[in-house]
Amino acid sequence: MVYAVEAEDLGKRFGDIVALQGLTFRVEEGRIFGLIGPNGAGKTTSLRIFSTLLLPTSGSARVFGHDVVNEASEVRRLITYLPEEAGAYKNLSGYEYLQFMGRFNSQNGDDLAKMVEDAASISGLGERLRDKVKTYSKGMKRRLLVARALMNKPKLAVLDEPTSGLDVLHSHHVRGIIKKYVEEQGVTVLLSSHNMLEVEYLCEKVALISKGKIVAEGAPVELKVRYKSSNLEEVFAEVAGLA
Amino acid sequence: MLEGLGNIIVKEVKELIRDPKILIGMIIIPMLLFPFMGLALRVATQTAVESTKAMSIGVIDQDRGVYAQTLFELFSVSNLTVVRLDATDIQQIAKNVQESNMTAVVVIPEGFSQNITDNIQAKLNVYGVFRGAGMAETTSPSTVVSLVNAYSRQLALQKAGNNTAILDPVSPSQESIVKGKVVSVSPSVLSTLVLSQYIGVPIGITVLIVFAMQIAATSVASEKEDKTLETMLTMPVGRFTILLGKLSGSTIAAAVGALAMVIGLNYYMSSITFAVPAEAGVDLNSIGLAPTLTAYLVLAASLFVTLLSALALAIAVSSFAEDVRSAQAIVGYFYFIIFIPMMFLMYTDISLMPLPIRLVLLAIPYTHPMLAARAGFTGDYTTAVLGIAYVTAFTLTILYIAARVFTTEKILTARIRFRRPKKREE
Repeated sequence: MVYAVEAEDLGKRFGDIVALQGLTFRVEEGRIFGLIGPNGAGKTTSLRIFSTLLLPTSGSARVFGHDVVNEASEVRRLITYLPEEAGAYKNLSGYEYLQFMGRFNSQNGDDLAKMVEDAASISGLGERLRDKVKTYSKGMKRRLLVARALMNKPKLAVLDEPTSGLDVLHSHHVRGIIKKYVEEQGVTVLLSSHNMLEVEYLCEKVALISKGKIVAEGAPVELKVRYKSSNLEEVFAEVAGLA
Repeated sequence: MLEGLGNIIVKEVKELIRDPKILIGMIIIPMLLFPFMGLALRVATQTAVESTKAMSIGVIDQDRGVYAQTLFELFSVSNLTVVRLDATDIQQIAKNVQESNMTAVVVIPEGFSQNITDNIQAKLNVYGVFRGAGMAETTSPSTVVSLVNAYSRQLALQKAGNNTAILDPVSPSQESIVKGKVVSVSPSVLSTLVLSQYIGVPIGITVLIVFAMQIAATSVASEKEDKTLETMLTMPVGRFTILLGKLSGSTIAAAVGALAMVIGLNYYMSSITFAVPAEAGVDLNSIGLAPTLTAYLVLAASLFVTLLSALALAIAVSSFAEDVRSAQAIVGYFYFIIFIPMMFLMYTDISLMPLPIRLVLLAIPYTHPMLAARAGFTGDYTTAVLGIAYVTAFTLTILYIAARVFTTEKILTARIRFRRPKKREE
């Protein structure tokens, strides 16, 4: 069986610092999989490896069977990546930004127009898309970026802290978009988050990472039962102590 | 292979041209600065010319002879307003003159006419009235001196029976040898014409390169600063294509900036009335000094590869910076290498320099377009073509390094940041 995401004994070092060690997990197509853990646990490093930005030091990472190192250009055709602190080109308008990004994935003008139309609807920014990005609030920018990450219906969307820095209302809107898009389009999502509420709401399966290692993996409900906890936060506190 | 290049170039140009820092600092200011300087110069020149017309001079005639009278009449028929001063000594009226609007006083001493008649050199004194640093202070006395010189020459001619052969027994005629052919144009006229090329081209090329490097550095660093680079690097587009897109976008934005500057500079130059000799209506084509098509092509090729090398260098080094300010600071370290050839080649020919300096200059890529610009005059295309080959090799090396940086994770993990030292809050 070909998995949407497959990490096999994945390791990454930055000089003397060990960021990841022996990470192994699999994500089936059409699922939302969450990597959760504290700052510096290795979540972003993992996502960056699957997005072809960083090279693993050991082990392998595959996206729909394609190796992220040897078949990086194939992988880039299948994924979209939303970094935690992503920005958009501030001197372009929202529409121009979507068109610019859309052109890399569209086959023709009609295809592009459809993508931009979808993105406009996902973002819910309406007429503000005609304004330059530099006039957007943080929440508006994040909505634009989420729309960009989903508009071309990627096989895999890699989302690093998708609601990072957003207020309650904007976070709610973005989570709704992701859930709806996955259900309707069958997109696979690999995401990271600090927000346990968000993870429980979105993810069908999660991996808890601490100090570069997976310390627990399973469906949120299953983990809560396994560790006799009322929420994922308690699960994490329990297993992180074991790590 | 380069799919998506056009998309990236269009985005780059839009982003750069719309960036207020680039729009104002590199396009609007240069376009306005030179015309403004030209306007200031034009106004100053006009004021000076008008003040010359209205210039008033005083004459103390202690001689009262016939030659003093003719000189007085000569002053009167010129543009000057001449006032006869009734005094025996300049000291007597110096204070009054200072308070008047007179810009010069001529004192014709007693015996002036008699000396001329007796073939003894006659003397007179010209006093400039100094009030400030305006142009009239300089021009007024020199106008008077020119009139006196013209008068003196006229008298000499009369005494020589209008025979110029007695007055100037030897008269040199100046001609030049250009590219092995004798042409009847004086060397000073030719050098005036060629000098404008010698000074203008190095300045223009240097400014273009500096602009382009700043823009390229901004282009890469702002992707990092605005956190757009990570997303861009995960798009289905080759890293080399992204690099080329940045190079091309920066070149276009730099060309717009350079064009704005050239337009401004052109207006400025036209504001300056150069004292080009009357015989300067020289047809450069007929004497083989006009740049030929080959010369233009060689210059264009040389400029193109040099510009690419500068851009690739800027992109490679700014990839290690974390923000725009740091990138511009890093790129700034390379400016002195660009300015060295300009400073040396603006006034001196490379072939006249000592061998070690010549070798250092030849090793700097930015020297070569300036040498290529001169090939049109000197006909030394061999050095120009060898220069292009050298710069091409240099450019390819830098491009390779830049491409390597872009294809590795170094572009994301490298961190150079320049910050002002933090101050403790009061």
